[in-house]
Amino acid sequence: MDGEEQIDTAPTGHGDEVEVGFLAPRIHAAPFPGMQITGYVLSMALTLAAFGLVAYHWLPLSSLVTVILVLAFIQAALQLGIFMHLREARGTAWHLPVLALALFVGLGIVGFSIWIMLFKSGVS
Amino acid sequence: MSTTTADRPPEFQDMHESIRIMGFWIFLSTDVGLFSSLFAVYAVFRSRVALGPTPHQLFAMGPVLTETLILLTSSFTCSLSLYSARMNRLRGAVAWLIVTLLLGASFVTLEIREFVADVTAGHGWSHSAFLSGFFTLVGTHGSHVTIGIVWAVMLALQLAMKGLTVTNRRKLYTFALYWHFLDIVWIFLFSVVYLSGMA
Repeated sequence: MDGEEQIDTAPTGHGDEVEVGFLAPRIHAAPFPGMQITGYVLSMALTLAAFGLVAYHWLPLSSLVTVILVLAFIQAALQLGIFMHLREARGTAWHLPVLALALFVGLGIVGFSIWIMLFKSGVS
Repeated sequence: MSTTTADRPPEFQDMHESIRIMGFWIFLSTDVGLFSSLFAVYAVFRSRVALGPTPHQLFAMGPVLTETLILLTSSFTCSLSLYSARMNRLRGAVAWLIVTLLLGASFVTLEIREFVADVTAGHGWSHSAFLSGFFTLVGTHGSHVTIGIVWAVMLALQLAMKGLTVTNRRKLYTFALYWHFLDIVWIFLFSVVYLSGMA
């Protein structure tokens, strides 16, 4: 192509070039906001499904909370992937390992807090 | 896969603005820590109701579902604002941003109404560990949304005055990140606090 590619693929010394395949940016552009509409419809469907499960007692109580949580994580992934343009970056997507660490710490705080409190007394 | 200047989104064209977006992701990561701590507190104290209302008695399904649908819709309109900006449609970007902040304001109004009703019924946050955890967790999210509304008002003014400048495009991008992040937090609030409480 033209000389434009050469500017960015050549090492800049700023850590701007992609070194790790997984952290390579993905950029999505479209002439119609189809992704946004898909994301909206899916998030509405997931929310109403979770609400319906509780309102109409479609599941036994034991598995209900697990299913609701799974639906919540799917919806969070949708928001991140579609609305927050998770894979977009200038060069290497360095925010991905930062977010992964935050998720690891966050789940650790919640999970181990519940776990440790199960020993002495019941956490419902 | 290498990125070229041509297919790079406008917010990432400038090196310094890209670094600011990265900085905002780091801020959001620290906010994940804040909210997970509050979620942990809520999970641990959920059953400590001190003869007061249980989650099942306190929550009403209708208003909470309305709040959730409002916030989901505002997340969608926020994404349309950024989409319009990328299509170089300034008026569309400002209009969708205003719709977003109005939906956010109605969300906060409903939430405050719910809180006032709880407190006037004698279920204030000093009544039990459950209520302390509940008001702190949901209130922290609500104050985040309120700050987001103030931010959106200032951003709409800046867009109206200066147009889609390099700086304004980045500001809209980081605002969208913030707003969608709050939507994710609310999804977990809705699932863990309200739906699990009503189950």
